[in-house]
Amino acid sequence: MTASTPIPSELRERVLAASLAARAGGRAVPAAAEISATEAFARAADAFVGLLSSLTSAQWRTPVLRDLDVQGLVGHLIGVEQDVQRALAGDEEVADADHIASTQEAAAAQADRDPALTRTSWRRAADQTIDIVEATAHQHAGSVVSMHGMRLSVDALLVVRAFELWTHENDIRRAVDMPASVPDASVLTLMTDLAVQLLPHAVTRTGSAEPTDLHLVLTGAGGGTWDVPLGNRGERPEGQDLTIVVDAVDFCRLVANRVALDALDVHSEGDGADRVLAAAATLALD
Amino acid sequence: MWRRISDVTTAVSARISANRCCDAPALGTVRLVGSTPTDSLLAARIAAGDDRALAEVFDLLSGAVYASALRVLGNGSLAQDVVQDVFVELWCHPEKYDESLGTLRTFLTVCARHRAHDVIRGELRRAAREERSERMIPTQRDASPSDHVAAAETASEVRAAVELLPPGQREVVELAYFRGLSYRDVARATGVPEGTAKSRVRLALARLEALLDRQLLESS
Repeated sequence: MTASTPIPSELRERVLAASLAARAGGRAVPAAAEISATEAFARAADAFVGLLSSLTSAQWRTPVLRDLDVQGLVGHLIGVEQDVQRALAGDEEVADADHIASTQEAAAAQADRDPALTRTSWRRAADQTIDIVEATAHQHAGSVVSMHGMRLSVDALLVVRAFELWTHENDIRRAVDMPASVPDASVLTLMTDLAVQLLPHAVTRTGSAEPTDLHLVLTGAGGGTWDVPLGNRGERPEGQDLTIVVDAVDFCRLVANRVALDALDVHSEGDGADRVLAAAATLALD
Repeated sequence: MWRRISDVTTAVSARISANRCCDAPALGTVRLVGSTPTDSLLAARIAAGDDRALAEVFDLLSGAVYASALRVLGNGSLAQDVVQDVFVELWCHPEKYDESLGTLRTFLTVCARHRAHDVIRGELRRAAREERSERMIPTQRDASPSDHVAAAETASEVRAAVELLPPGQREVVELAYFRGLSYRDVARATGVPEGTAKSRVRLALARLEALLDRQLLESS
């Protein structure tokens, strides 16, 4: 073993400065190729329809979520896509519509249909969303879309949609005993970035108002490092320090409420990791 | 730049999930993975752009890295440069560390030793170039007498150190550094396998490092 030798005190600062000059902090390496939110949604849709294409007739009847089998779940997603398109058109009725209740009709309509027709209907609905977004990109630049209780930019909405498709794709995979899938690093990067942006809201609305300076490190592809002020600051600008280190994909599964906290491998320093991660799980769309 | 969320202006409302809004989470307790960060965790944090992890690794291992470089170079200033190179490389390419091949401490100290040898090799090449140009250009109109003396001294010190090497090592150093042959060509010229030629060069450099006057390196 190599012995340790005292080093000049100024060397630490010099080395850290040189390192950050060579590579900025925050972003993961190897860097994922940057893609648009539309591309992320398109990739998630491709993965989802790819899975649907591989299912047998019996698997389409497998119970997946709530009272929905695979076909009913795809019907739910057709309904979501229809609401997305209404939101993009400025229909205020979908702004506060319930994510599940609003899509029940579309889910029920799939009963007794040929699964291939359900799959085609969903693919068509997803393609229509992409077509509308691309055709109205200049019109929606910087604007906010309201849907299912969310107010999001069009880009953020598309990332939420990619998140939901990946989540439900894995619901189906779990139901039919297929291995889980992981989005590519480019899609994951957009997903983790959005989830972290939403985290302060989740913490606040779950009543966890203790001011906290969160240093969040999401490891692996699609990860990164964020400093996130959480809680109600009031007259206390300084929060207590909390560091959480967790795998990026695990964090996304948590945000989707598809993994229990006690099943996560988490490294943390400071108090309140449970509180923050539990709040993250409330961001889930079901 | 850090991605600081306080700077992000988002149009997200306080409610993103219609059905889970303000649900009291009943998810259990976070399972903490050890109180001491493992090497793989530190490397993963560095890959995620966490400069606090880099600072932790520096605090833990910079002494060993510095010692490793200093042992080869015998010069504190050059050893500090090596420490900087090693940590910048770790920060930019953390994927080069493979936990299955050894500890982070071993990885970094070996990197430091290799880097230090690179520095030595660079110095030898520079000295050899100076010696060659000294021989090829007998008189330089704009060089002062003291320049000539210094260059000649440098070259002669390197030459003298090389002369003290065992014959097999001296031969490969002369071929590799004074005649600029590749390892393959050195192996061919000396009639030994390429791996043996490399080993001899490494041994020769280690011996030279002990023989060379440390002031030669400092003055450069």
